[in-house]
Amino acid sequence: MNLVSMKGISKSFFGVYANKDVDLEINSGEIVALLGENGAGKTTLMNILYGIYQKDDGILKIKDDDVCFKSPKDALKYNIGMVHQHFTLVPSLTVEQNITLGENFKGYPFLKTKDREAEIAKLSKEFNFAINPSELVKDLSIGQQQRVEILKLLYRKAQILILDEPTAVLTPQETESFFEVLKKLAKQNCAIILITHRISEVLKIADRVVVLRDGVKELDDKTKNLNKNTLSKAMIGRELKKQQIKYVPRKEVGLSLKNLSSIGIGRNISYFNFDVLKGEILGVAGVDGNGQKALAESIVGIRKYSNGKIFIDGEDITNLSTAKRKESKIAYISDDRHHDGLLLNYSVEENLLLKGDASKKYYKKGVLSKNILSQDATSKIDEYKIKTYSSKTPIRLLSGGNQQKLILAREISEETSVVVAFQPTRGLDVGASESVHDKLYQKQKEGASIVLISTDMDELRKMSNRILVIHDGMIMGIVDNDQNLDITKVGLMMAGSGVKNG
Amino acid sequence: MIALITSIIAAAIRIATPLTFAGIGEAINEKSGVINIGLDSIMLSGAFVSFYVCNKTDNILLGVFAGLISGIIISLFHGYLAIKGKANQTIIGLALNFFALGLTSFLFLVGFGTSTELPTCRIVSNISIPLLNKIPILGEVVFSQNIFVYLLFLTIILSYIIMYKTSWGISLISVGENPKAADTAGIDVKKTRYLACIINGLLGGLAGSYLTLAQLGFFMENITNGKGYMALVAVILGKRNPLGIFLAALVIGVADATQIRLQTAGIPLPSEIFTMLPYFVAMIVLLFSIKNNKDPLALGTPYERNAR
Amino acid sequence: MDKKKKGKIISIFLIAIITLFISWILILLVGTSFTKACSGFYKGILGSSYNISEVLVKMSPLLLCSIGISVAFQTNFINIGADGQLYIGAIIATIVAMYFNLPTILVLIIALILGFIFGGMYSLIPGILKSKFGISEVINTIMLNYIAIGITGILVKTILMDKSGYFPMSPEIEASFPIIIGKTRLHLGIIISIVLALVVQFWLDRTKSGFYIRAIGQNVRASRCAGIKINKNILISAMLSGGFAALAGVFEILGVQHRLMVGISSDFGYTAIIVALLANNKPKNCILTSLGIAALQVGSLSMQRYAGVPSSIALLIMGVIVLLHLGNEALFPFLYKESK
Repeated sequence: MNLVSMKGISKSFFGVYANKDVDLEINSGEIVALLGENGAGKTTLMNILYGIYQKDDGILKIKDDDVCFKSPKDALKYNIGMVHQHFTLVPSLTVEQNITLGENFKGYPFLKTKDREAEIAKLSKEFNFAINPSELVKDLSIGQQQRVEILKLLYRKAQILILDEPTAVLTPQETESFFEVLKKLAKQNCAIILITHRISEVLKIADRVVVLRDGVKELDDKTKNLNKNTLSKAMIGRELKKQQIKYVPRKEVGLSLKNLSSIGIGRNISYFNFDVLKGEILGVAGVDGNGQKALAESIVGIRKYSNGKIFIDGEDITNLSTAKRKESKIAYISDDRHHDGLLLNYSVEENLLLKGDASKKYYKKGVLSKNILSQDATSKIDEYKIKTYSSKTPIRLLSGGNQQKLILAREISEETSVVVAFQPTRGLDVGASESVHDKLYQKQKEGASIVLISTDMDELRKMSNRILVIHDGMIMGIVDNDQNLDITKVGLMMAGSGVKNG
Repeated sequence: MIALITSIIAAAIRIATPLTFAGIGEAINEKSGVINIGLDSIMLSGAFVSFYVCNKTDNILLGVFAGLISGIIISLFHGYLAIKGKANQTIIGLALNFFALGLTSFLFLVGFGTSTELPTCRIVSNISIPLLNKIPILGEVVFSQNIFVYLLFLTIILSYIIMYKTSWGISLISVGENPKAADTAGIDVKKTRYLACIINGLLGGLAGSYLTLAQLGFFMENITNGKGYMALVAVILGKRNPLGIFLAALVIGVADATQIRLQTAGIPLPSEIFTMLPYFVAMIVLLFSIKNNKDPLALGTPYERNAR
Repeated sequence: MDKKKKGKIISIFLIAIITLFISWILILLVGTSFTKACSGFYKGILGSSYNISEVLVKMSPLLLCSIGISVAFQTNFINIGADGQLYIGAIIATIVAMYFNLPTILVLIIALILGFIFGGMYSLIPGILKSKFGISEVINTIMLNYIAIGITGILVKTILMDKSGYFPMSPEIEASFPIIIGKTRLHLGIIISIVLALVVQFWLDRTKSGFYIRAIGQNVRASRCAGIKINKNILISAMLSGGFAALAGVFEILGVQHRLMVGISSDFGYTAIIVALLANNKPKNCILTSLGIAALQVGSLSMQRYAGVPSSIALLIMGVIVLLHLGNEALFPFLYKESK
């Protein structure tokens, strides 16, 4: 049965098309993958279906009803539910409260907690979710929170489920069991729309694939007629670059952590021991939120230690401040460029100043030299191909990819011993990602020790010499990234079963 | 001795009443994610408008009603600039304080001139509740107060139930903690926030009415004199819980009542030593209460659904 | 041109027109003729060279306090305590003048230095309470205003009291900053404060430590990642802020009023917040905005004398202007609408 029918949907933001003339049909009992790069318009299209955005043009029909949703509330009336990439849960409320949020239940407005907890427990059992409805959401793991999101939709009798990059936060094993859930849902005549940019997943789970590129539909076909190459061609307009031959690191140690344990907010790392050679890229794999942030911040010196030492080129830097570390050539590319890396209202030039004591070169006798700064900014804009109107343009007006290039330009253009790259390509399209990768390769050839923290296994496979697996703030093992690498084993390590190796 | 303590506590309750009214309103406002440090502006306008109407019509009820409306208008204006205009909420609150101070002072002089005789208005009388007022200590402290104080007790209970025992309270928390989650669950974030602003204005206006129509019976320039900030202290100290806010306001009230007693006790020391007491107490209790104090995650941040 | 910039410029004119209109209504409300009120206002600020000098006399403490407030607001340290810090400066100046038996020039210099230091330390209290314990500086600075006034009250009744009189005030202080125009009260402080505004602006714009201050206000986390010490810099901005406000107090005692008492500040510290907000927290803009606000205050006082319009109209108008300025994107959305 045809559940959703979109015809000629268009949507633009500030004169730029996010979707242009898109047609899409969804049938019940079907798992449809919506594939495309970051910025291809997948999420926008689904947000229109879910009532978060309103279409500028086109026709949207749900079960033959012509609709235009003003808010998610309207969409819910038509049994449409969406799980966002960033969960929409309230951490300080319980599972039950989150699930029943905004609902007009029996006895409204007084809370009838017990009855509804029982109802949710029953539903949770039906799908083997093992969720306790009275628990606070902030005490749940990411995987469990995702299940709460799905429960939320099922509780509201959603029949059309939109899932935005649901596997980004899961281990390979969790992904498997998650796919089982999806199949079960499809059997019960739900329609499932999976927003993703991972081709391998699409081929595994979807019945049908729809590819968007630059807001336009490129391809719409049954999965059985497709393969990796046809999909990547439709997605990025060309075939993926051949994997580069890995650069062999030098024998000297660049960065070295000895029994390092951090203290601070959130997950911390404990007893981290590893060396990174000069010219080596050490990939750090793990499910998001298992201590990656603590690792990055510990190396950069933003987080305090409870014990252990840290060395660069044999020199003990344990007690150096972040400012001094930046001077002694640590570069930091954070996973959250808006919060950790940029002053959005300030110009490209002024953002270059944001580098601790390493910004000394822009000052003459303590006074900022506008000439030096603007010359340097211009040359960096050229070298890194940053698209900006001028070096005085506020950075908020630049695209995400160009903002990230500016951070790279600031952090790694000078001589650098250690690079901490934390999800450096998050949210970038393939072109921008490749140029970030190229810059990291260049740094590697210059002899920098690079720690690349990512949740994208494909990125880690492509870039790393070795892969360190992190779980629950501990090192589960370090493995060589070569033909013999067993992905299943890495997945198990990410899930917490320790395999000491390599 | 007991008589002294009873009278100090009774006085403390009278001092705590406007702070608690305004504090509960602000707590609800903050739980929805909007912080308004301009409580003085709400109270001041409530106090002035109540006084003006009561003076001209000699009708207390009408005075209170007008005071509430004026409080709501001021609070909604803050809400509009904060929710729609996405301006810095703290700064807007601060600016509103200046505005309201100027407005009420100006209108007071225009309305009543600068005669030496202070214009006055009727004030509400105390109502003793039969039987209950015979209970030792409690009878005088709690059951021989004016209507505003009884209204306060009702407000505390009602707001407590609404905040912790109904789905409205859950919605309020969700809007302040994760507006996107609330939005996707079908809760209207902006409406909830505006509603919280209205409640804040209503209770703040009531606090203002109390000052002129229950406590003083007259109006003067800057009559609130920083009481709004004291209410903010109570909000933080009471961890945004109506009962906690009342207790916190009582602490400040006791400090203030005590200093007034000490001033009139004829101790040969500069009176400022005593008048400074409540401010010291406020700073010190803040210092000790700050542990485990968690602001709503979205406090002070406007919500934009179409944000990309 | 940037649509936003264009909107901002038009909004300035809109604000001016709306403000004039509101003033017109307010004056009608009083029942005076608009022209009479205007001429009263004009006489007050430009009527004679003495009137002009009085505007500048008022401007000096406003400017000094607003420089401090701007620096604090740059790191998001919402310092509402300038009034209290001003009193601390005034107390120090009085103590130095009364108890340090030194040549005038030394008294002046020492009073400025010590006033700056003690004002800075006074402002460090809420600074430390914020950075170490996370307590809102908004409340603490307000509380410290009341406390500073209390301290002043105690002192002028005890050790700093004029023993020859009955009033709670200090004896008249002889040491004085040089008057720069004869027969007026205009003292050297006005020049010093204008120079300071320019120096502080230069420091913010063109030095590394100044950049750190600005960066923190823009984005705390990014600043921390760049190795900027957040707490240290917030404390620096708090301290400078208190120091500048205290200088205003020193100049009030040793330049204008020559006697310490409760009430030497006509809410300078609060009014200066408006000055800083209208200047978008830029010290160099504070020069103009403090001049404007001082003229508004002096002019409205004269308007009260000549036309019977209550001088609190100044505060009301300031409130209107600052609200229109801060909320202009919400109030005049048509200026900022993106053309599709």
